[in-house]
Amino acid sequence: MPSIRQVVRSALAIATVALIAVLFVAAHPGAARPGTVKPKVQAPPASAADYVGEDMCLQCHEDQAYKGTVHALKTNLKSPAATKGCESCHGPGRAHVEGGGDVTKIQNPKKMNMQEASEVCATCHNRETHALWTGSQHDQRNVGCTSCHSVHAPKGDTKLLKASSEPELCASCHRNITNKQHRFNHMPVREGKLGCSSCHNVHGTSNVKLLKAGITVDESCTSCHAEKRGPYLWEHAPVAESCTACHDPHGSNNDRMLVAKQPYLCQRCHVTSRHPPTVYEGYLLKNSYNSNKIFGRACVSCHQQIHGSNAPSGKAFLR
Amino acid sequence: MRNRIIVTTAALLLASAISAMAQQQQNPPATTAPAALAPTFGTIDFGFRGLDTTGDAARLQRYSDLRNGAHSHVEFGKNTDTSLINFTADNVGYRDQRYDFGFTNGKATASFLWDSTPLNYAYYARTPWVDRSTGSSAILTLDPAARLAVQSKQPGIVGVPANAGQLNTASIFRGMAGQFDLQQRRDTAALGFGLNATRDLLVNFTFSTAKKSGAMPWGASFAFSNANEVPLPLDNRTNDFAAGVEWTNPKGMVRLGWTGSWFDNNIHELVWDNPVRATDMTPYDPSAYLNGNGPAQGRMSMPPTNHMNVVSATALYKMPRRTTVNGTLSFASMKQNDSLIPWTINPAIANAGVYAKFPGLAHLERSTAEAEVRGINALLNLTSRPNSRFGLNVRYRFNDHDNRTPIFDAVEYVRFDAVPEETGGETEPFDFKRNTFDVNGTFHLTSATALRLGYTFDTVDRLERAAEQLTDNTFRASLDTMQSQYVTVRAIYEHTARDVSNLDVGKITGGGGQPALRFYDEAARDRDKATLLFVVNPVAQVDLTASVAAGKDKYNDSDQYFGLLDNDNTSYNLGVNVTPMEQVAFGVNYGHDKFTSLQRSRNANPSPDASWNDPNRDWTLNNDEKVNNFDVYLDLLRAIKKTDVSLSYSFSDSDNAFVHGGPRIAALTAAGQFQALPNVTNQWQQLRADVKYFFDTHVGIGVGYWYEKLDISDFATIDLPGQPGTPRIDYLGEISTGYGNRPYKGNTGFVRLLYTF
Repeated sequence: MPSIRQVVRSALAIATVALIAVLFVAAHPGAARPGTVKPKVQAPPASAADYVGEDMCLQCHEDQAYKGTVHALKTNLKSPAATKGCESCHGPGRAHVEGGGDVTKIQNPKKMNMQEASEVCATCHNRETHALWTGSQHDQRNVGCTSCHSVHAPKGDTKLLKASSEPELCASCHRNITNKQHRFNHMPVREGKLGCSSCHNVHGTSNVKLLKAGITVDESCTSCHAEKRGPYLWEHAPVAESCTACHDPHGSNNDRMLVAKQPYLCQRCHVTSRHPPTVYEGYLLKNSYNSNKIFGRACVSCHQQIHGSNAPSGKAFLR
Repeated sequence: MRNRIIVTTAALLLASAISAMAQQQQNPPATTAPAALAPTFGTIDFGFRGLDTTGDAARLQRYSDLRNGAHSHVEFGKNTDTSLINFTADNVGYRDQRYDFGFTNGKATASFLWDSTPLNYAYYARTPWVDRSTGSSAILTLDPAARLAVQSKQPGIVGVPANAGQLNTASIFRGMAGQFDLQQRRDTAALGFGLNATRDLLVNFTFSTAKKSGAMPWGASFAFSNANEVPLPLDNRTNDFAAGVEWTNPKGMVRLGWTGSWFDNNIHELVWDNPVRATDMTPYDPSAYLNGNGPAQGRMSMPPTNHMNVVSATALYKMPRRTTVNGTLSFASMKQNDSLIPWTINPAIANAGVYAKFPGLAHLERSTAEAEVRGINALLNLTSRPNSRFGLNVRYRFNDHDNRTPIFDAVEYVRFDAVPEETGGETEPFDFKRNTFDVNGTFHLTSATALRLGYTFDTVDRLERAAEQLTDNTFRASLDTMQSQYVTVRAIYEHTARDVSNLDVGKITGGGGQPALRFYDEAARDRDKATLLFVVNPVAQVDLTASVAAGKDKYNDSDQYFGLLDNDNTSYNLGVNVTPMEQVAFGVNYGHDKFTSLQRSRNANPSPDASWNDPNRDWTLNNDEKVNNFDVYLDLLRAIKKTDVSLSYSFSDSDNAFVHGGPRIAALTAAGQFQALPNVTNQWQQLRADVKYFFDTHVGIGVGYWYEKLDISDFATIDLPGQPGTPRIDYLGEISTGYGNRPYKGNTGFVRLLYTF
């Protein structure tokens, strides 16, 4: 259990954030802007007569077309084109039309509370990769569908994204992570071979860190690196628990995207006797055969099977 | 190639079948879709590419193929009210070629992907080992006469340099090392199919197959003084299948799914020649793992063929008052039952005489691995937003990693194929069982501002680790607001206190560790993390972004003295992006990251040697890395008549310091046996410029220019004296391939014709 000191410190930090939040909100009363309209009182169920049809909408909103997107596929029985057109997402439009275009009488997801707007999308997008959206990390942080997607004015070629590429979109909040694609050792993201969604499902998953494959970090990594899946005869316990104990999958300036340079990474745990805790420094590098524990593959020059060994003599991962 | 054709044909047949099906089905009554976009569109971008490189050309093309020749990029799309089709092809015929096809008609979807991704290590690699692989054995041989010359210690002959004096003479293997491209490639074909069988029922299926071929650098050692790096041939394939059926309606969803993954490695073992022995040392030398007087050959196992199956159920149910419950339950099985290689390939050990002293080496306890892990995993997630002011999320996760691999007795084993020993012990199948309970309350202070307070209790019960139980208590607060149209703020602070129960120090000392050592992945610690993101939009066309992220790990077990003690990171980022008009966008982003860590160790011989408990043998290492990132871009899309211009420049550098300290360092320094390591630095920059000029709406020309440069300095990369950039493969204690971290500069030019439709 945490100590009292830890609890007090956490509570103080949380209280500070809460205070800042209250002050911030007090200083910025809900001066209307897109995205800050207060949620409406639950409207009574709409009748067929409340819908005006898409042709009516297009008389004024011709530029809000969605043709050419999946929403326009009449053959998909759930699509807007196959159901109520624009009013599938925007709700019945009669009051809006009869009100001379009164914007308060039409539902606009862009101007709704983020979570309520997402609920509009989730009316249809409640399966496959979206099944676990509600309550997911992004949903809890007031990031919604319209934070990343634009039905009418997407910039990306796919997925109706609001940025021209997936890494660019994710970078708008996670710049400290996406910067790592420029590290000396990196996944082929900047080469366009992988994207953030190659590993993550931002809509919610049963794994940690919104990883889309498996239910542990290791299962996510070995979904591509199956040669490291094992299970092995000899296991290196940290490997079996999480690849990220040693690797930073977003990129690193260390070989093989390690979180620290070898042999110093290995020496964080291997404080034993003889060669593991030897001081590997410049003098040895130039004068001793123990140099082979510093240059090149360093520790892995011998302990090549560091992810696990299937050899009976593989205890030290030499075979 | 045959597989490629079969899969491509299958994809086309599938697409045509779906298309036919689409034509037969009745269109539902619907309204008219909004204004038309181009129903058919595409680009053919074809021309020539020229590459000029100095330095490490493989590193420049780490995951790509930019060789001189044809450049190609094709896009095609056709969107109608009843179907969407898209197709792209990139760099046709090259090692990084990619083809992507997608089709949907609302009723059904189909997709196909072919992707080749190279991993280029080095085009300058050299090795004296010759590949004579056969069957499932990778066999790498060395010249027998050279090995015999080294073994017999012929005057003037150096095999693997053992001291600084021998570096003045080239190894006998240097001259016979042939140059080759050290590279591998992953070729992936993936096929997906989905069918909306009814309005509420979806069936989907995916299949992918990935083949790895080529070679990779691989450690293959015989002794402390004889660690080598060889090009390991690769030949393996992973086949993945997934199938699922989903039923949804406005109230909920249920999905049943299965995934299966088979990894087949066609190379079961690696056998390679010892550079310093042509014959096995007979009888074996008990010090051979140190002095290299060992076997003529080594043998090691390769990643085993294995498979995994998972069945899962996922459900979602919407309840009154905006309350949703969703969850998953899955059962997993991972198995591998590869045949085990013998204890050793060394006949000086694998004989009756040695078996009399080491009876355990006379046979293997079992002939195959019989390794199996079963998993049970569950997630239950309740979200309730009963009113506009408050939301509650409660989440429970359960993971059971149940390792059922029988213990394998290896108390007697063979080290380096050189020495039989009695210290091997038994295998330690690693288990864990994790329970995570997470609750978050979200207070909507206004319609666009959410304050979230949360708590997570996470406990992991573990088998075969020193810490038998880890408990994390995490408190968090986050604030997310878009209250003003000008400002977005996202902030989160999280504190995690990790406690360890039932610490078995015997697991640490049993592995030879100091009793005051704690492993950083399981040590008691406090972790603080905070992120603050400000986005300011003074006008709609401009966004200014500032963010700060910080993390701090403080290892706080009062009995911990050795291991990782502190690990901190901070990141600052500033950016501005401007879109003054639809045709123009530009921006600049700058980031600065800092990583620091402190670890402590003791340079000692095993107890009862006095050094084991001697604090004068202690040393520390401060690792301090600073990284800068910089990006700037400009896009002009028809802002200039008939012309598209795209410019971008990216920069990243790193300065990584390794500062040793402590009494052991002082003693080594006094003895003239310590030299501080130089910082490891790198500086990478990339400029990309692309200009397209269109003569009319369809036809144009394009020119492109890419400049990329890496400067790097790394003490772990060894070059020949006075020849920077030329690897030395025969450095102290190792014959390597020469693969390392070296600078490069590349200029790539493109000239091409464009046709758009």
